[in-house]
Amino acid sequence: MRFLMSPSVACCRRVACAVLLVLAAAPASLRAQTASTETIIAGAGAENYPSLKIRGFTDVDYVSSDSAGLPQGFQLGQFVLHFTSPLARKVTFFGEVSMSPLADQFHIEVERSFIRYDYNDLFKISAGRYHTPIGYWNTAFHHGLWLQTTVRRPEQVKVGGTFVPVHFLGLLAEGKLPSSGLGLSYAAGLGNGRDEVLSRDGDAGDANTNRAWLAQLVARPIRAYGLEAGGAVYNDLLPLAGQPSVREWIYSAHVVWSHESPELLGEYIGVRHEPQGTSSSFESRSFYIQGAYRLPGWANKVKPYSRYEQMEIAGGDPIFSFPDLQVVTAGIRVDLIDVAAIKAEYRNELAEGAGRWNAVLLQACLTF
Amino acid sequence: MSLPSRLRGIAAVLGGSILLLLGALASPPRAAAETMAVIVHPDTPVQNLSFAEMRRVFLGERQYWNAETPVVLIVRAPVAPERQVVLDRIYRMSESQFKQYWIARIFRAEATSTPKVVYSNQTINELVAAIPGAISLVRADDIQPGVRTLKIDGFLPGEANYPLR
Repeated sequence: MRFLMSPSVACCRRVACAVLLVLAAAPASLRAQTASTETIIAGAGAENYPSLKIRGFTDVDYVSSDSAGLPQGFQLGQFVLHFTSPLARKVTFFGEVSMSPLADQFHIEVERSFIRYDYNDLFKISAGRYHTPIGYWNTAFHHGLWLQTTVRRPEQVKVGGTFVPVHFLGLLAEGKLPSSGLGLSYAAGLGNGRDEVLSRDGDAGDANTNRAWLAQLVARPIRAYGLEAGGAVYNDLLPLAGQPSVREWIYSAHVVWSHESPELLGEYIGVRHEPQGTSSSFESRSFYIQGAYRLPGWANKVKPYSRYEQMEIAGGDPIFSFPDLQVVTAGIRVDLIDVAAIKAEYRNELAEGAGRWNAVLLQACLTF
Repeated sequence: MSLPSRLRGIAAVLGGSILLLLGALASPPRAAAETMAVIVHPDTPVQNLSFAEMRRVFLGERQYWNAETPVVLIVRAPVAPERQVVLDRIYRMSESQFKQYWIARIFRAEATSTPKVVYSNQTINELVAAIPGAISLVRADDIQPGVRTLKIDGFLPGEANYPLR
């Protein structure tokens, strides 16, 4: 039959088929969009609680160094899972768990676990375990290595470090302040403070009857989009076995320009220790400045960076027992895809009493 | 089907495709040259925002219109001209930076979700009309009944000095 069909009839039949296909496809597309619309509307309503979302961060490193004390070769980084779960219209749970490789096992740690109630932008209150809002790096990047430009954190907030309490267990109030164009926000917390093991935050209960407190003020001026400046103060009474307790004051200040061309970070932290029952005090300080620049045009996946950091520990400090430190870092970050990057970093470190050493670090990091 | 007739079919399809392509190339992206409007749910308790305040809303730094009404951000999916305006003018970010920005905000517990992504201005209008607190950006010509247009720096789309042109 089709061999008897004229060319013009055949052509019309093909056009008709194409039109039918288009008409058949269009309702399917509309159905998909309608379903999507309904899903979004439902998601914005109150019917989908709890609504758990999980994001992961991890990395693989390679280290080569002329320091005998530094682990060399391939190293598996932390495997971090971050949880966000709205529980009701104004109530949200945030959690974070890390798995860190040790010589004979993985160490599992609940890094963050807190529930927050948002009254409005001016007042949010939460209870649980946080990244202590001292300085910038500790809350901005912490275990999300993919988020930070460099391979390593600054020494003042390094993993397992004790210069500042990187975690805080207690209550935290936060919000915006009516401040016209300054874009002020605050955080105020009351918690257990440091444990007898300085890197711990008293997860099973406070080590003494004194509660630590902190206050932070941050400005993000409306007219200077990308600029952030802030400061914080923290106070605690540290228990020392067999010795008088030590009053600890921590002060921090930071200035950040977060756009990537250029990206500028500067942070200062001072720690003052006052042994109780004496008039003596010990001032230690640490700071870093970091600059990076995402290259323009075809090279925009590439971001070279550099950082200088310095830590000075007061002689005779009753709490700190680590040396003064100077670290120079230079490296390059290449964002292979939107959610994964490789970094190559040269590190030169001078530690008082331990001399100078060099290291080359390579890292592949990602979020998933 | 004979070979000549098959060739004619192929030629028709190719010809049509080339015409469509030429048409697309000849007309610049509509949104690039046209006025954008910031639309909100009609009950949103705001009539006017400065450009900087609007940026804070889209950045997720302002999360509540008032204690009862959270801000619900809605943006077009990548490649749409409206999306490009949002990224270029409001966020001043690339697609990669936009993605990283929202991942970081959620990681820092500064937000609980990313902006909702939709694929057409029709859907944006429907969602903004349906969700209290919703805000989005569409071509001024695509505004439909059921939504309210915000003044930016005191100006509505089409007025002199309106900043989103």
